[in-house]
Amino acid sequence: MTTTLGAPTPTSAVPTPVAALRARRRRKLALVLTALAVLLVALATLALTLGAASLPPSRALLALVGLGDAGDTFIVHRLRLPRIEAAVLAGAAFGLAGALFQSTLRNPLASPDILGIASGASLGAVWALLVAGLTGLAVSGAAFLGALTIAFCIWFFAWRQGLHPIRSVLVGVGFAYLCSSLLAWLLASAEVREAASALVWTVGSVADVRGAELTTFAAGLALLATAVAVVGRWQGPLALGDDHARGLGVPVDAARVGSLLLAVGLVALATSVVGPLAFVALVAPAIARRLVDDGGPALTTSAVTGAALVLAADLVGQHGLFDISAPTGIVTGLVGAPYLLWLLATHGRKSQA
Amino acid sequence: MTATLVGPSRPADLVARRARRRLLAYLAALAVLALVAVASLVLGVRDLDPATVWQALTDPVAGDVDHQVVREQRVPRTLIGIAAGLALGIAGTLIQGVTRNPIADPGLLGLNAGASLAVVCAVWLLGVTSPIGFVWFAFLGAALAAVLVFSIGAGQPVKLALVGATVTALITPLITIVLLRDPTAFNLYRFWAVGSLTGRGLDALTWLWLFLLVGVALAAVLAHRLNMLALGDDVARALGQRVGVTRGLAGAAIVILAGTATALAGPIALVGLAVPHAARRLVGTDYRWVVALSALLGPVMLLGADVIGRLILPHSELEAGVVAAAIGAPVLVAVARGKTVAGV
Repeated sequence: MTTTLGAPTPTSAVPTPVAALRARRRRKLALVLTALAVLLVALATLALTLGAASLPPSRALLALVGLGDAGDTFIVHRLRLPRIEAAVLAGAAFGLAGALFQSTLRNPLASPDILGIASGASLGAVWALLVAGLTGLAVSGAAFLGALTIAFCIWFFAWRQGLHPIRSVLVGVGFAYLCSSLLAWLLASAEVREAASALVWTVGSVADVRGAELTTFAAGLALLATAVAVVGRWQGPLALGDDHARGLGVPVDAARVGSLLLAVGLVALATSVVGPLAFVALVAPAIARRLVDDGGPALTTSAVTGAALVLAADLVGQHGLFDISAPTGIVTGLVGAPYLLWLLATHGRKSQA
Repeated sequence: MTATLVGPSRPADLVARRARRRLLAYLAALAVLALVAVASLVLGVRDLDPATVWQALTDPVAGDVDHQVVREQRVPRTLIGIAAGLALGIAGTLIQGVTRNPIADPGLLGLNAGASLAVVCAVWLLGVTSPIGFVWFAFLGAALAAVLVFSIGAGQPVKLALVGATVTALITPLITIVLLRDPTAFNLYRFWAVGSLTGRGLDALTWLWLFLLVGVALAAVLAHRLNMLALGDDVARALGQRVGVTRGLAGAAIVILAGTATALAGPIALVGLAVPHAARRLVGTDYRWVVALSALLGPVMLLGADVIGRLILPHSELEAGVVAAAIGAPVLVAVARGKTVAGV
């Protein structure tokens, strides 16, 4: 494609190659997003119908729009819909955050799981539950603060004439170990039943998110996503490297710090509501980039992919693999970690060659 | 300038001075270890004076509560701290040497997670409940995790650490599944996972010391080979070393030592990371000395962490694993900030 760029196009009726390429990309993006949306709706319908009391799709949809009988309406609106909404919102937040992390740090391995931000959130939530005796929104607040604190510590200790990606990952790993050993101590020193109930905060689950919590989550996500839309237009030039981006008029440092702050905010928000869903932020952008394949950060696609991933993982966790209903984070961890291992294995082979 | 004119005695002088310095560092470490061991016997929720401790050790009075505390709690705790610290210190040194990697440690490389998963499965599937029964499973799990991590991450220091963290992240949900299914396993596991020197009793050590001995012997044999390996695989090969044999022996020693430490004290992270760095600061890069000194500094760090943990909270104790991680994490951060790593 680039070879034709130098020569003027022979026929004026045909649009320029660049315009044609852009049009093709737009079409592809629209196609990918439509396909993902269809998948999301299909998964959501499945999630509405499956469960202890299984509803056929027709009855589930009738209940959804308020035309079903009282029992169906209760099951759909009180039990299943909040869970679906939480999964979609959390998945979108993690996907978007992961895409921001990876494009800003220009590292496909950058993920809040490895960076220790997720462990910070777990520690905050478990501390709030077991030591401070808090419940509900206050636990989420503590998780939010925990994530922000760890993110700040990583920034503070990894900063040395700039934020070197590998250095920040290693510093993050250090904090992750510190957090997990404190977590182990909190779990060991609490009363056993309370400790078992706090255990779910170490893996994350989209069950039991409803009402005010869900509304706050949605509002916060909308706010941050709007800010991402503003910063997002700098992500393309940033991917070309600092110098090129600066040449294109992008305020490089501000854009980078802004994107990272937004990414941390998204992770902290999502983790404070559903706990650390392992590796969604890592896997969703990777899939999205492969689907869109335009060399860009694929922000929107990552968000939709993340939502579909978490919804699917929750379905599998509830009804699929195990005879107990497994928290969502277990399923995402079991899918995501092998992917990261594969990434590490092939990445090394390429760089050694 | 003038110093070079003194003649051929100059290099020999340097060597002698370095040897003196190493010996001094070694003796100082020995003294600190003795001090920490005494502190571990004397300090705690019930503070005892050294004379009482001495009497409890040499001439115990039956029924005396203080003597009972010393003989049944403080002594096993101290011995387990020394044994586990020794194993972790040497294992960390071997891992860092054989991978030529400053950010390696049994915990960082996922060996602890593998051991934990195996122990949890043993509790859940086979109903094993005694810490002694955990040993074989800890070995098995650590070995499997080591094979997985090394086969993917070998060769590149930073990647190895990332693979270790990822394997840990892969194993954690597996552990959580078991814990959520089985409350009994959770209750046993949570006290094991925090990394504590108490609650094992001396019977765990009565035959685990054999493994410790094998591990230490292997490390002693390997130290010189690691010196050559530090020059690179090709140079080591040119000097007549069979690199594969070195790696295999070192891998066996690491799994034995890390497995023993995990069986004794639970999954303790970052002791194996911090100790070799401190040892290298003190005695230079000769692995024979680094291994020997790590064998002293490991117990100093772990037992020291245990003593600090007893004193830091007014009415309860902070487990050794937690304090050790709090000491080790800054070391990891400092290493990560160092120039050598950032350049990788």
